[in-house]
Amino acid sequence: MQLPSSFFGWVGFLLEKYGNLFLLGTGMTLLISLTGTVIGFVIGLIVATLRTIPVNRRTPGTVRALKALLNVLLNLYIEVFRGTPMIVQAMVIYYGAMQAGLIARGTPIPVVAIFIVSINTGAYMAEIIRGGIISVDKGQKEAAQAIGMTHWQSMVSVVLPQAVRNIMPSIGNEFVVNIKDSSVLNVIAVSELFFMSKSAAGAYLRYFEVFAITAVIYLILTFTVTRILRLIERKMDGSATYTILGSQTFSQSAITIREEKKEG
Amino acid sequence: MQEPSYVLEISHLNKCFGTHEVLTDISFTVQTGDVTCIIGASGSGKSTLLRCINFLEDPTAGQILFHGRDAETQWKRAEYHAKVGMVFQSFNLFNNMTVLDNCVAGQVKVLGRDRKTAVQKSVQYLDKVGMAPYQNARPAQLSGGQKQRVAIARALAMDPEVLLFDEPTSALDPEMVGEVLAVMRDLAQGGLTMLIVTHEMSFARDVANRVIFMDQGLIAEDGAPSEIFTQPKQARTREFLSRVLNR
Repeated sequence: MQLPSSFFGWVGFLLEKYGNLFLLGTGMTLLISLTGTVIGFVIGLIVATLRTIPVNRRTPGTVRALKALLNVLLNLYIEVFRGTPMIVQAMVIYYGAMQAGLIARGTPIPVVAIFIVSINTGAYMAEIIRGGIISVDKGQKEAAQAIGMTHWQSMVSVVLPQAVRNIMPSIGNEFVVNIKDSSVLNVIAVSELFFMSKSAAGAYLRYFEVFAITAVIYLILTFTVTRILRLIERKMDGSATYTILGSQTFSQSAITIREEKKEG
Repeated sequence: MQEPSYVLEISHLNKCFGTHEVLTDISFTVQTGDVTCIIGASGSGKSTLLRCINFLEDPTAGQILFHGRDAETQWKRAEYHAKVGMVFQSFNLFNNMTVLDNCVAGQVKVLGRDRKTAVQKSVQYLDKVGMAPYQNARPAQLSGGQKQRVAIARALAMDPEVLLFDEPTSALDPEMVGEVLAVMRDLAQGGLTMLIVTHEMSFARDVANRVIFMDQGLIAEDGAPSEIFTQPKQARTREFLSRVLNR
C-alpha cells in the first residue's frame, strides 16, 4: 500500500481510515462536557441557594447550627474540588473509589467521567453563581420578600434568573474549559477525543497530522458552543419591543416601541 | 371578645446595627384607614422603622402586633407580608419580568391564585395607576414615575390591608413626583391604610391624618398635621420644619 507523502495527503488518509474514531471521540467529548456542565450548573445553583439561606433572631439554635455545619461542608467541597487538578480527581475517584469498593467494578467509564466533570464544574459554578447573586441588586430580593415570597421562591423566580443572565459569559467559559479539559480523562481510559486521537496517531506514528486534525475539531466545538451561548444570551434579554396597548374598544391605537439592541 | 381596634401596634421597638442604636423605644398604633406620614431628617431612623415593620430588618427588641397578634410568631411570614405591602424608594421592580408579570408573580406564588384571576386583578390595578397600556413593557423600558406606579400596582394586587411607602418619590425626577403622589392621594381617599416615610411636606400636610416626626431614632412628636405643621410643640420639630419648608 502506498503511504501519502504530503501533510494534506496524510490528513486525508487518516481521516478516511480513522474518521470513525474521531467522530466517536468527538461525540464522547461533547457528551461528557455538555452533561458535566449542565449537572455542574445545577449543583452550583443548589449550593449557592443553600449558602444564602437567611437566618433571623427567631431562627432556632439547632437550625443555626445545622446551617453553619452545612456551610462548612459546602465550603470544604468547593475548596477541595477547585484546589486539586481534575486529572488527580479522576485518578482518586476512579481507581481509588474502585479499590475501596465504593463504585462497582462494572460501572461504565463514561458515567464515571460525567460524574467527575460534574462535581468538578459544580465547585466552580457555585462560586460563579455566588458572584451572580451578588451582582443582582439587593432590592430585588427585598421586593420579593416584601410580597411574601419565601427564600426559595424569591431565588427561583427573581434572583437566580437575573444572576444567571449576568454570569452567562462565565458559564460559557466553563463549558469551553470542559470541552478542552475533559481530555485529561484519558488517564482513566475514557474514549474521548484526545484518547481516540492518541490511538489514531500511534498506528502510523503521525502525531503532527493527527493532532492537527484534533486541534481543528476542538476549535470547531468551542467556537460553535460560544456562538450558541451568545444566541441564548440574546434570547434571555427578552424582546426589544413592546406594545403600548390602546383603548379596549379601539385596538388600532396600539403603539409599538422598539429599542435599539445593544451589543455586549 | 372584642376585636382589637388597631391594625398595627408597634411597641418598644429597638434596632441596633452593632453598637449603634438606630431606633430607640418606638411605640405607636395605626388604625384602619389611617394615613400616617413619618417625617424627619436623614438618618433619623424613618426608613429603618419601616423596614423593621416589614422585617426586612430584624428588630433588635420589641414587638409588632398585627390585628392584635404578634407579627413575628403568630402570623405566617408570607401571610403577613401579603397583608402588609411595601413600596420602595428605588421601585425594585423585578427586572426579569414584564410589568404584568411583576404584578402576577406574587399573587400566583404567594396567594395561590390561578393565573387568569391574577392577570385580571393585575390589569385592574395597573389601570388604577394608569399603567395598564404598558403591561407588556419591561421595567428597563419605563421612566422612574412609571416604575413607581407599577410598583404600587404590584403591592395593591396582593390585596394588602396596610401599605408601607419608603420615600416613594425621593428617587424621582421632579416632574415625575406629581404623578406618583396623585396615585397615593387617590389610594388615601379610597380608605387604604398607609404608612408613608416622606420628604414631601405638602403631601403630608394635605393627605395625612397624622404625622410622626422622628429625630435621632426617637419619635419626637406625633399628632395631626394641622398641629405639627402650624404649632409644633418641640423646638427640634420647629427647627426641622423651618429648614425644609423655607427652601
